[in-house]
Amino acid sequence: MNSSQHIPKSRQDDSGQPHLKVQVYRSDESPDRRQSQGTGGNAASAVIHSEDFSFYYGDKAGVRGISMDIRPQAVTAIIGPSGCGKSTFLRCINRMNDLIPHTRAEGLLAVNGVNVYDRNVNLVNLRQQVGMVFQKPNPFAKSIYENVAYGPRLQGGRRRPDLNDWVEQCLRDAALWEEVKDDLHKSALALSGGQQQRLCIARTLATRPRVVLMDEPCSALDPVATAKIEDLIGELKQTYTIVIVTHNMQQAARVSEMTAFFCLGELIEYGRTSNIFTNPASKQTEDYITGRFG
Amino acid sequence: MNLAFRGYKDKGFTAIAYFCVLLLGFLLLVVLIPMTGRGLSAVLFRETVEFRRMQYAIFNRGNEERLRAQVARVEEARRPIYELLDSFARGIDTESQISRVRDIFRRFNEELRLQNVSDESYTELRGKARHIRDLLTEAYTSTDREEVSKLLDEVLAFAESPGLKGAAEQYFEMARSYSKTIKQMDLADRQRYAAQLSEVTEAIRDLFGPRPDEPMPPLAENQFGATRWDLVQRYLRRLLYSEQWVQTDPAKPMEKKLVCRTDPKQFGGTELEPLFGMVESSLDELFLPRLRIYWQYFIDDSTPGYFFGGVGPEIFGTLLLTVCAMAFAAPLGIVSAAYLVEFGGDSRIVRLIRTCINTLAGVPSIVFGLFGLAFYVMLIGRPCVLAASLTLGLLVLPVVICASEEAIRGVPQTYKEASLALGAGRFRTFATVTFPAALPGILTGIILSLSRAAGETAPILFTGAVFLGPIPNSLFDKTRALSYASYGIATGDKVGMTMPHQQYGVVMTLIALVLCLNLAAIAIRWRISRKLKGY
Repeated sequence: MNSSQHIPKSRQDDSGQPHLKVQVYRSDESPDRRQSQGTGGNAASAVIHSEDFSFYYGDKAGVRGISMDIRPQAVTAIIGPSGCGKSTFLRCINRMNDLIPHTRAEGLLAVNGVNVYDRNVNLVNLRQQVGMVFQKPNPFAKSIYENVAYGPRLQGGRRRPDLNDWVEQCLRDAALWEEVKDDLHKSALALSGGQQQRLCIARTLATRPRVVLMDEPCSALDPVATAKIEDLIGELKQTYTIVIVTHNMQQAARVSEMTAFFCLGELIEYGRTSNIFTNPASKQTEDYITGRFG
Repeated sequence: MNLAFRGYKDKGFTAIAYFCVLLLGFLLLVVLIPMTGRGLSAVLFRETVEFRRMQYAIFNRGNEERLRAQVARVEEARRPIYELLDSFARGIDTESQISRVRDIFRRFNEELRLQNVSDESYTELRGKARHIRDLLTEAYTSTDREEVSKLLDEVLAFAESPGLKGAAEQYFEMARSYSKTIKQMDLADRQRYAAQLSEVTEAIRDLFGPRPDEPMPPLAENQFGATRWDLVQRYLRRLLYSEQWVQTDPAKPMEKKLVCRTDPKQFGGTELEPLFGMVESSLDELFLPRLRIYWQYFIDDSTPGYFFGGVGPEIFGTLLLTVCAMAFAAPLGIVSAAYLVEFGGDSRIVRLIRTCINTLAGVPSIVFGLFGLAFYVMLIGRPCVLAASLTLGLLVLPVVICASEEAIRGVPQTYKEASLALGAGRFRTFATVTFPAALPGILTGIILSLSRAAGETAPILFTGAVFLGPIPNSLFDKTRALSYASYGIATGDKVGMTMPHQQYGVVMTLIALVLCLNLAAIAIRWRISRKLKGY
């Protein structure tokens, strides 16, 4: 592919701080490098470590040869045109793609040093560590309280008073507490779209994840609700590692530290958001960001 | 042009849709209104004193004092009719008169033997009595008026002779009333009158029930007269008119024609003629009709054969069968649907299973009935509620599975993903998220199958339904059911003809029951979907 020529070949060294630099891996990297990075210092600082990761729907590749490290306690945005595989990649991180039949994954995708596509991986643990917020707000048809308590109840063993405090804490973290504290037992579906989405975030936080994946969390919301969610993301990154897929480039520029540009299932460019938006290394990235992309 | 055509097409489509909806609604009304209207006649009707008698005798319902007074009043009003009939019958019904003559002779002999009379006078009196007997018998047999009157005079000549007391006195009474009868009637018409008289007697018996001096018939259906005003009207018609088949045109089949009983060819000009007017004009006196709302129809047991009473055991049986069938089919159907949608994937086996289920949904119900007989009944050892409801459950299982499958498939993927993303397992996700969200759709399927299970006859035909029998004590007893009762009345020999309101009542009850079950289920579904929508 032509684009690979535009990728800067700055290779990281094992001892360095990879997440502070622009990290771009080409899909045709040598296998020996991959091995050396398996449990190295690199993986220790990166929460999510992917190397030559490919995901196939039947014979068709959803993503191909993705290699990237995602920093902890930061917001990483994934942008790209429709159908470029950004959602596919995101959903691979907590294996939500398992629901789709006839799929398979190749390469390495590790969260906290554990390969998520390992056969022995505990899906429950993985998904509790890697929470996910979806494109459309999808609260359960239960009360607000029950929505937030759903995750903790799954973990089990929480006593009721404990749970109340924890639900309150999560709702506060999701900046929803003040709006709903008086009717926690009202149906979650009675909330507005923005409130529902914040509730979904609170619900995700309630399982104490390390990573929160957000799949276009604001695409179904109006600008005011979007602004609230973006503020919230800014606060949450103190505690959580956030990976957000978005169509909205302004949003990516506003909320993220790192940005990855995907195109046609491949990672074209990955680097600091400021770099990507001001000085993209790849022609494709530049075209996309400036709106010249078809 | 193109635009205009598109407009017409849209309008045409809308018009067809409206027409179809209206047609459906109309058909529904056409079916439901007459059915419920006629069915209501089982509950709301004008009762007669016979109905009150029946209610007291069978269900021990009503005030005894008042009933007795009413019965006395009615019997008083009926007496002249019976008397008229009897006196007319004397000239006609010679068979019974002759046997009565013989009977009197026998009794007279017994009396003589008990009396302390000498052998001579015994022989003499016995000879006289025998002679009178033969004379009377001959008089009743003969159709010649002259001869009969001569014979009767001979009999009456003995009236003054001493010794012919007791039973023999009845001979003279018979002779006197017979001589009165022959003055009014042509004895040559006896044969014709006899046939018609039996019709009249039968109609009177249908109207008034057995005569007070008669012993009670053993069957409850014969113990009471016309219990309802519509039956009174029908029997009255039979009393007042004779049905005859007449050939008006040789090319056409014979036609039925009603001939008034007061017609000269019938009883016109005879002693019996006033009877018809008497009955017709004093119907209110004879029956004491009153409007009645017989709500106990829904709880009463019926007498054997559905002649009187209600459908209580049938309602209970139908509910029991339906509930048991759903208790079997609903969990099984939902679990199967959950497997097919959520866990089965898209393998060849799952597709095969789905084809089988769809085929099963199209199998005629009688096949299920036979299967129930061959499998459940053999397994349990006898036809019973359990076998019947399992068969019904099997019948509706495909419907439940298909509806549940659609409902579960309709739950948005994002709901399931939300739960899975929180670390819930597949079962947990199904139980706490997918199933509640699919419940309204699943309930729709269950409602449909509920109605079907309640109305099916064929599957319970061999597996546990009976026409007669008590309310079941356990699942291993047989039960009565509304659908089966309707079938029973329709194929029975007599009830459907004589008591059509019972048939309509059963059907109306079935419709109402299904409607109630549906309304309940719809209310539940409405509440659930309201809750799901967050009100």
